[in-house]
Amino acid sequence: MLTIRRILLVLFKEIFFSLMLLFGVSIVIFNILYFSPGDPFSHLLSGQLTDVSARENVVNALGLPSSISGQFFSWLVNVLQGNLGTSLRTGKPVLDEILLLGSNTLFLTIGSLLVALLISLPIAIFSALKTSSFFVWPLTIIAYVLSAIPLFWLGYIVIYISTEYFGVFPIQLGFAASKTNETIIILLPVLVLGIASGAISEMVRYIREELTRVLNEDYIRTAKAKGASIWRHAFIEGLLMPITIVLTNKVPFILGGAIIVEQIFNRPGLGRMAWQAAQDRDFPVIMGITLAAAILVRLAFLLQRMIFMLAIPPHQINRK
Amino acid sequence: MKATYKQSQLLLTHKTNVSFWHRYSTMDMFYVAYGLLIVIAVLISYLLGVLDWLPYFPEEMDLENMMAPPGTEGYLLGTDFMGRDILSRLIIGIQAYFLPGMFAVGIALTLGTLFGVLSGYFKGYAEYFVSYLHNILDSMPRLVLILLVVAAFKPDIYLVMLVLGITCSPLVASLIKDKIILLQKRNFVESSVALGLPATTIIFKHILWCNCRAIIIIQATLIMAEAVMLEASLSYLGFGVQEPTPSWGNMVQAGANYLMNGDIWSSTAPALAILFTVLGFHLLGDGLNNILEGKRR
Repeated sequence: MLTIRRILLVLFKEIFFSLMLLFGVSIVIFNILYFSPGDPFSHLLSGQLTDVSARENVVNALGLPSSISGQFFSWLVNVLQGNLGTSLRTGKPVLDEILLLGSNTLFLTIGSLLVALLISLPIAIFSALKTSSFFVWPLTIIAYVLSAIPLFWLGYIVIYISTEYFGVFPIQLGFAASKTNETIIILLPVLVLGIASGAISEMVRYIREELTRVLNEDYIRTAKAKGASIWRHAFIEGLLMPITIVLTNKVPFILGGAIIVEQIFNRPGLGRMAWQAAQDRDFPVIMGITLAAAILVRLAFLLQRMIFMLAIPPHQINRK
Repeated sequence: MKATYKQSQLLLTHKTNVSFWHRYSTMDMFYVAYGLLIVIAVLISYLLGVLDWLPYFPEEMDLENMMAPPGTEGYLLGTDFMGRDILSRLIIGIQAYFLPGMFAVGIALTLGTLFGVLSGYFKGYAEYFVSYLHNILDSMPRLVLILLVVAAFKPDIYLVMLVLGITCSPLVASLIKDKIILLQKRNFVESSVALGLPATTIIFKHILWCNCRAIIIIQATLIMAEAVMLEASLSYLGFGVQEPTPSWGNMVQAGANYLMNGDIWSSTAPALAILFTVLGFHLLGDGLNNILEGKRR
């Protein structure tokens, strides 16, 4: 009973914290829009009356708040009601488009995080356990090289190789995509983003350092001396926590990389939408995408806190 | 007990006559050596580009020697799809990120140091403000934020680098803050406070100059790596330098159009340049971190 109450308390605290941060994010986004050159009134009045009094009359007639805080809160209320505006290019509501394509990007993000983890985890564990081994150096260098590869170049090379040597054309061409190679078409971008997003070297470094630190703790030495399993004692603090921390920290990076990968592989998704919107200066869309990305990142952090809370004994929770 | 033991151990390592070559691991020495090599190469190439000492004019076309492989007579790194010398274009491409990267590093270090000192030395509300700002900037993917700024204002590289600098500053701030909190327990800071030295002297001389130099240099190299990669990505996406002016990003993009004909080299050469440069800055940063900031062998 007590534990449920405590879990709910921490959950509410975290949700409140996330909402405060999203409020901050919306302030940042609003300020960027507020200070951007060009405003709808001069566009509305262009070629007509251009003096200041006519402009003020139009503003008053449309009933718009004049102060910056008034504009911000009326904008925020609209956003909270799910009204992110309509795309200047397609004329459709932004929220609908984001919800339609969001799942593609979510799949890409989660898949690439898993690929990056699958590559970096073995390297990290090996080099933490066998510090004096000959292979530690080459493996670390491989991790560094992988995270310095330009993402866009690797995408092109992968497309070239798969077309030239395997006869698979991994670019999605709308409905014309053949059903036979569908899994490869879906999996190749995930693989490319996971390898070259630039996250691997940092993941290896962080997980290795944490694991080495935990393995040198006194209680692990005691466990070794007793002949007990090391992993039963080192798993939570040495592996589970560093992995969740590093994965959640890398979510924004991977989301940024999704812009490039969706561009190369011509996949419909938020990243490609953001690129198109930036090309057309379609800022209702890119504003909505920035908000959606921020919400996604905060949800990942919320998930991280939940995992911590379930994994760590409650009396240690304040320490982390 | 544990702290005093660690301190005495630290003193010991300073006093013992271990030679320079044996004090640090070979791996870190290799990292730093490679990184310095890359930094020197970039600097020299940048100067060559500024002074215009190039084998060819970067936009000069040689239509008889299109897509020449590396090592062709007269073209050390070959030519691209229009017969332009790749080596000259790579050297000129450095100008696309060199000064903007420096600008980003300057912004990040200035803001980061300011925030770090505010939250570490003065604490109070500044601490909450800085950690709130850190979390806000961490919530937005950097590339998405930059696309938003590009859409709202204009695709200007210095504007992009300003955003990069601002988004990198909280990390610098948190490192400096941790360092200051560590230093405030040390005797020399306490005694200079007791002697009545002004806060500016303590902060600038005793804390920042004498003890945070390493952090600042390390972060500068890591931010420079970010700047190189970001500039290349933006040029690739079409928001940076436009053809025919070369930048490593748009060279990859332009060369990739000819990839399906089997001409890999003209997009691979700039990609390798990006790879080796970013790798160099990363290794320099991490090697210096291991050498200067503890983690001794």
